[in-house]
Amino acid sequence: MAKAAESSGDPGTTTPRPLFAGLSDISISQDIPVEGEITIPMRSQIQEFDSSTLNESVQNTIMRDLKAVGKKFMHVLYPRKSNTLLRDWDLWGPLILCVTLALMLQRSSVDSEKDGGPQFAEVFVIVWFGAVTITLNSKLLGGNISFFQSLCVLGYCILPLTVAMLVCRLVLLAEPGPVNFMVRLFVVIVMFAWSIVASTAFLADSQPPNRKALAIYPVFLFYFVISWMILTFTPQ
Amino acid sequence: MEERTGGGCWGARGRGGEGRRRDARAPAWAGPHPKCAGGLGLQPWGRGPAGRAGGGGDAQRPPPAFGVPQALVDDTEDVSLDFGNEDELAFRKAKIRHPLATFFHLFFRVSAIVTYVCCDWFSRSFVGCFVTVLLLLSFDFWSVKNVTGRLMVGLRWWNQIDEDGKSHWIFEARKASPNHIAATEAEARIFWLGLIICPLIWIVFLFSTLFSLKLKWLALVIAGISLQAANLYGYILCKMGGESDLSKVTASFLSQTVFQTAGPGDFQKPGLEGLEIHKH
Repeated sequence: MAKAAESSGDPGTTTPRPLFAGLSDISISQDIPVEGEITIPMRSQIQEFDSSTLNESVQNTIMRDLKAVGKKFMHVLYPRKSNTLLRDWDLWGPLILCVTLALMLQRSSVDSEKDGGPQFAEVFVIVWFGAVTITLNSKLLGGNISFFQSLCVLGYCILPLTVAMLVCRLVLLAEPGPVNFMVRLFVVIVMFAWSIVASTAFLADSQPPNRKALAIYPVFLFYFVISWMILTFTPQ
Repeated sequence: MEERTGGGCWGARGRGGEGRRRDARAPAWAGPHPKCAGGLGLQPWGRGPAGRAGGGGDAQRPPPAFGVPQALVDDTEDVSLDFGNEDELAFRKAKIRHPLATFFHLFFRVSAIVTYVCCDWFSRSFVGCFVTVLLLLSFDFWSVKNVTGRLMVGLRWWNQIDEDGKSHWIFEARKASPNHIAATEAEARIFWLGLIICPLIWIVFLFSTLFSLKLKWLALVIAGISLQAANLYGYILCKMGGESDLSKVTASFLSQTVFQTAGPGDFQKPGLEGLEIHKH
């Protein structure tokens, strides 16, 4: 700009020199490295990413969590080696299954004072205390899994046994007898095996190789106790 | 600042939506503004002297809505006026901005406690009462963790598992910025009171259960305490942010609540002081 202003100051000269005329004479030697740093402020991007879940509507949150729970149920029914059950753990599934199982395992009694209270709380304590004990055991054995992840897997894998309970209750509506018992035994054994397979598919990888049996054995015991409760249930 | 407005003496004008409210007492043509002492003199609105640095291109400016001569408005006395955004203005001024979230924050907790205390009157069934209280406690835990903390005080905490299988607990506090509106005092007070008082009540229930030997309720009371204490602990860690010293934080919190004087309609907005005046 300055050059143009200068040259317009004397009208008598030839055409004014073009702007930046001397620039073509400048050359950059190969020896001088030209380098520098460009910093792009990332702040706005971070804020946008942050507000994606910070400001989402409540309905979105609810739907997201419901879908996560549903997906986990599917993963238990068709156990494959995947990380879904482990990575985004949640304890809604275990809560629902535990409540359902406990409700179905109630003995309906005539006396309203003892209306299945002890059995109900018993199921709760067995399930949750058992799951906590198994988790502590696997952590003490050097397992690479976090506390809540393990609770999540064990809780969700109760699903086959809950289905077995449902089937048993329906079967018990029919007349009692050895056939009745054999059917229930068969169903419970199949579902018990399914639970074991599903939980070992998720849990076994997290154990050190020489300790796998030691870590799986309490899981076996846990589901065995629940299956026993289901098999020996008789509505009075 | 001068370059940004294209002429500091004139104040900011013509920027859509962010008009400046003229101070009512600005006199007309009273004399050169101290900032304009560089010799601009008194010019009619919209025209600067020719050749003024940086001002040549935008000499024509639309007059402001109020028709007050611009030459003498003090820049430092300009205040912001939200044009046409009445909803947002009402939203900012309300004492409680998320009434539904506030309601649900308290509803689940209080109804869990009430159901536990009064279950004998409603039905004699232990199982029904147990399941109801447990469901209420679970809904309360979820809603406080995921919804009301976010909306009412801008805090959030969650757990994340990375590829190695390590679990990280992440605690976040939303910084007050022009994009996000800071929490009101009433909401924050309700939030923290609800968060602190209810676990204390459940601890009282624990002792009453133990001493009256009604041990079948013990499982429920322990579940209640653990769920509510988990939320309380998570939010305290969020609030502390980088500080790891709990005693310092509690001392500052107590002094803040004791010495704070809240006038009517006076709520703090730490990030917006430059843009708005407090109304008294």
